[in-house]
Amino acid sequence: MKKKTGRKLSTLAVLGLSFTMLVTACGSGGNNASPSQAPAATSGDQPAATASAATANTPLQKALNGEYKGTKVTMFGPFVDADQVKFETSIKDFEEKTGIDIQYEGSKEFEATINVRVDGGNAPDIADFPQPGLLAAIAKTGKVIDLNTVLDPEKLKSNYNKSWLDMATMDGASGKIMAGIWNRSNVKSLVWYPKKQFEEAGYQVPQTWDEMMALTEQIAKDGDPAWAIGIESGAATGWAATDWIENIMLRTTTPENYDKWVKGELPFTSPEVKNAVEIMSKIWMNKDYVYGGTKSIVTTAFGDAPKPMFENPPKAWFNLMGNFITSFFPENVKVDQDYDWFYLPPIDEQYGKPVLVAGDIYAMFNDRPEVRAVIEFFTTGESIKSWVQSGGVVAPMNDASLDWYQSESDRRMAKLVQDASTLRFDGSDLMPGKVGAGSFWKGMTDYVSGTATLDQALEQIQKGWKN
Amino acid sequence: MVGSKKRKGNKAVVNIVLGIICFIWLVPTLGLFISSFRPAADILQTGWWKVFPHQEWKASDDVIRLSKDVDLRGPIEVNGKTYTDAQLKAGVVEGGKRLMWENRRARMISVQTEGWVTKSNLTTENYKNVLSGKEYKLKKADGSETVQKGSGLSQAFLNTLTIAVPATIIPVLIASFAAYAFAWLRFPGRKTMFVTIIAMLVIPLQVALIPVLKDYTALGLNGSYLGIWLAHTAFGLPLVTYFMYNFISQLPKDLFESAFIDGASHFTIFSRLILPLSVPALASIGIFQFLWVWNDYLVSLIFIGNQPNVQVMSMKIADLVGSRGNDWHLLTSAAFISMLMPLAIFFLLQKYFVRGLMGGSVKG
Repeated sequence: MKKKTGRKLSTLAVLGLSFTMLVTACGSGGNNASPSQAPAATSGDQPAATASAATANTPLQKALNGEYKGTKVTMFGPFVDADQVKFETSIKDFEEKTGIDIQYEGSKEFEATINVRVDGGNAPDIADFPQPGLLAAIAKTGKVIDLNTVLDPEKLKSNYNKSWLDMATMDGASGKIMAGIWNRSNVKSLVWYPKKQFEEAGYQVPQTWDEMMALTEQIAKDGDPAWAIGIESGAATGWAATDWIENIMLRTTTPENYDKWVKGELPFTSPEVKNAVEIMSKIWMNKDYVYGGTKSIVTTAFGDAPKPMFENPPKAWFNLMGNFITSFFPENVKVDQDYDWFYLPPIDEQYGKPVLVAGDIYAMFNDRPEVRAVIEFFTTGESIKSWVQSGGVVAPMNDASLDWYQSESDRRMAKLVQDASTLRFDGSDLMPGKVGAGSFWKGMTDYVSGTATLDQALEQIQKGWKN
Repeated sequence: MVGSKKRKGNKAVVNIVLGIICFIWLVPTLGLFISSFRPAADILQTGWWKVFPHQEWKASDDVIRLSKDVDLRGPIEVNGKTYTDAQLKAGVVEGGKRLMWENRRARMISVQTEGWVTKSNLTTENYKNVLSGKEYKLKKADGSETVQKGSGLSQAFLNTLTIAVPATIIPVLIASFAAYAFAWLRFPGRKTMFVTIIAMLVIPLQVALIPVLKDYTALGLNGSYLGIWLAHTAFGLPLVTYFMYNFISQLPKDLFESAFIDGASHFTIFSRLILPLSVPALASIGIFQFLWVWNDYLVSLIFIGNQPNVQVMSMKIADLVGSRGNDWHLLTSAAFISMLMPLAIFFLLQKYFVRGLMGGSVKG
């Protein structure tokens, strides 16, 4: 690395900046410069590494045999801080066994940066997209490598629920491609509640929507607003509301309608969507049902919303949120004892028990043998095992054992996903950014805060498709 | 006599206005400073000013228990008077005492009295987390927990310094050369070039990001210190050149003429005369450029990225809050730590700074 920097310097010394002597301080500075250079150059260094996925010797096995020792694979993704530590722990074993150095770079601004990097020719080898809609937009440009040519489709079919593979199939520059593979998922149809006090109060976990509404009324009579709801999230304010709508949509209409809605074929102004918002409003717009009243929904941060559930006695009882919300819970409360979740009950029997999920899809941008090995590794449950063990994620792969989950709560979650009759991805993450991360958020916020009527809000959201 | 009185009166007005402006600027800073010592739960519940002694309703031992089956939606009778639920939620003052729900579920109303309270539950935990890194608890397969220590700000601090110092010196030096040439040398195309440079001031740097990134990728400069020095230099040059031109062009001409007659070359004039004379201007534009680079997020985000060995403070601080912003309270202390360096530079160079701000404003 040092040598490389030195070479660069000598060419640039022409600039006559004599004080660039200081550059010696940055011997290790140029490290995400090299991987994006032409893959041909790298495979030239390793003549042995021209394997195709079709042979019995897959890149992963070769990597485990140490064939790619000393190579580097760059990764770029949105997890930082605690999530980054967990991710790095989960790949450590693989790195040690194969000698491949996976250089993970996390950024809070992933969504904004990845487009700039790809356009600027500085794409990472592998990128981790929490929003498949974003990947779909990049896949269209043809810059994403079709994983059907890299991985064994049979193996993928055996290790993933078909819904996952369908969700990873996107439009490429010419025809459908497998744009990525799913590595980490979270479940969004969960209602969290303070278990201990819930049982002490003699409440029963509701099995149907009507039971849930009856319980909500019961809790209101007993003196508490049942629901803790907050949708404030800085520039992303409103996303928590979209999860509600998506969950209710799946419970009141067919999955096909849901898919149409996500694609923009079923407009927001249609009766299906309106009905979903109205069902939500029965809870949200009732000041006896929401902690702090309807007005506080827009100003309460989604992460702070569940906090009243952990006061003694609880001031609120239910919080609908994905499994990642547990990282916002107070440190002293324990899973399975102090809190637990129940499945957001079905509204209409005929649509079964649909589950709303979200997750991270890993896409490959540079085709080198060691990158192939790493992406193949990410299709195995092993690649996320230690993260699953430390809690907070669900592995979408079938070879991830339920025994890995350390809490009953996580295990039930994984089972919920595996057994789901209908599995659908978070719709707002699939829609194009201007709707899914724009007018949908804003329209819901305007509706809840009272600056727009329901019809106005839905029209305003629908306009996002046209812009 | 009358005149001086008037002047005194004017001065008082100016001072009062300045005082008010200072106050408006300082109060949020003070609030942030106090918040940086408070636990997250406290910040959520009460404002920072509550750490000072203030009057507040306090719960006394006196509690009124109503019957369990009181209907909360109807009028509620307490001690012979009826209230609504909303009143009891907000608290009703009755004869110097305030009635408020203590536990609505158990139909308990607390009787509160007013008194002095200080909520001085202060902690240095925020600073500890920021400076030496957070501790991450990881559960293992056997259910045991291991604690992994995250990295603190020190590495990012050094990185930022490594970026900011050259990214200040390089543009200021180049711009001084250029300003001297534009001001005192006669060469063809001088005016056109100068106008072109000034015109660059209006180009937002965002439009250059992708093209520059493409070039950097070709040159292999991404993620290297050299790359970001050059980027900051290029983005900073127009303003710095303009600023230095204003100052240098105002220096008395006679000075150079006599030096020139004595046989000094341009380089000697520049290094022996111009540079020492423009110390105030150099210092003040230096501070500007340093602050810009120090606080920069966008340019670093694009050109240097987030690898721990090159990551700058602003990015590290953004990461501290976690993937979903769950540790937002750490921003308070991190903001103060990142402020230290600019403050130190400012106080060190402050006397030049004030002089430099006037640079070019008074014709010599």
